[in-house]
Amino acid sequence: MSGKDKILIKSSTGNLHLVRDFVEKKAAEMNIAQSVINQIIISVDEACTNVIKHTHKYNDHNEIEIEIEFRNNQFIVTLKYEGEAFDPTKKETPDMKEYFKKFKIGGLGIPIMKKSMDKIEFKHTKPNNNSLKLIKVI
Amino acid sequence: MDEFTITEKKSGDLIILNLNGFLDAHTSSVLEKKFEELLSKNLYKVVVNFSGLSYISSAGLGVFMAYIETLRSNSGDIKLSNMSDKIYNIFDMLGFPILFNITKDESEAIVKFNETV
Repeated sequence: MSGKDKILIKSSTGNLHLVRDFVEKKAAEMNIAQSVINQIIISVDEACTNVIKHTHKYNDHNEIEIEIEFRNNQFIVTLKYEGEAFDPTKKETPDMKEYFKKFKIGGLGIPIMKKSMDKIEFKHTKPNNNSLKLIKVI
Repeated sequence: MDEFTITEKKSGDLIILNLNGFLDAHTSSVLEKKFEELLSKNLYKVVVNFSGLSYISSAGLGVFMAYIETLRSNSGDIKLSNMSDKIYNIFDMLGFPILFNITKDESEAIVKFNETV
């Protein structure tokens, strides 16, 4: 893989499989170990799911662009989408013992992203452009 | 495309669910509906066999969190079996084995139910 590659999807959970397939294909081209590919795939899925659900509130008139690049031994997936700013890096990680004790539901997408990726960067540009970078060092 | 399906069988008072395909934010409602159906029939002892499941995301984990308390408070449980390493890693990443009984084989899960009766 050279340079950047990207896909554009309508903001719908029905398109998550397209995103996963795209990430898998691009990561496989780089001969990345399958266990690492799996970590990248679930992180991108969780990130897209959060945008679809929370930022776009399931309105599929919105779109998400998923861009992949490989440079300096980093596999970088960038989500670009419009909507209100929400920085997942600022979200506190739940105490899982407490989580299980209280039978909580939801809120696990960001912890999965944080555990699976090496770095996450969020940038909001006015009026409503968001960029979420998920970075895995290979 | 084979998205997500569930097949169901009975073994005594246990229900065994076989999951197939991809369990994500799009398909998790199918599993939710299945648990609702079981609750409506007062069926609280459930073994979930993951051998046919290729993928799970947090939306799938959320379904098990949503029903475990209700099933246990009705003398039931959700026991999970036959996970591939890929699926187990997702459960393990967040510590789910603390709350859920995860066995290698379906038969082991069934035995564990009988032990606790």
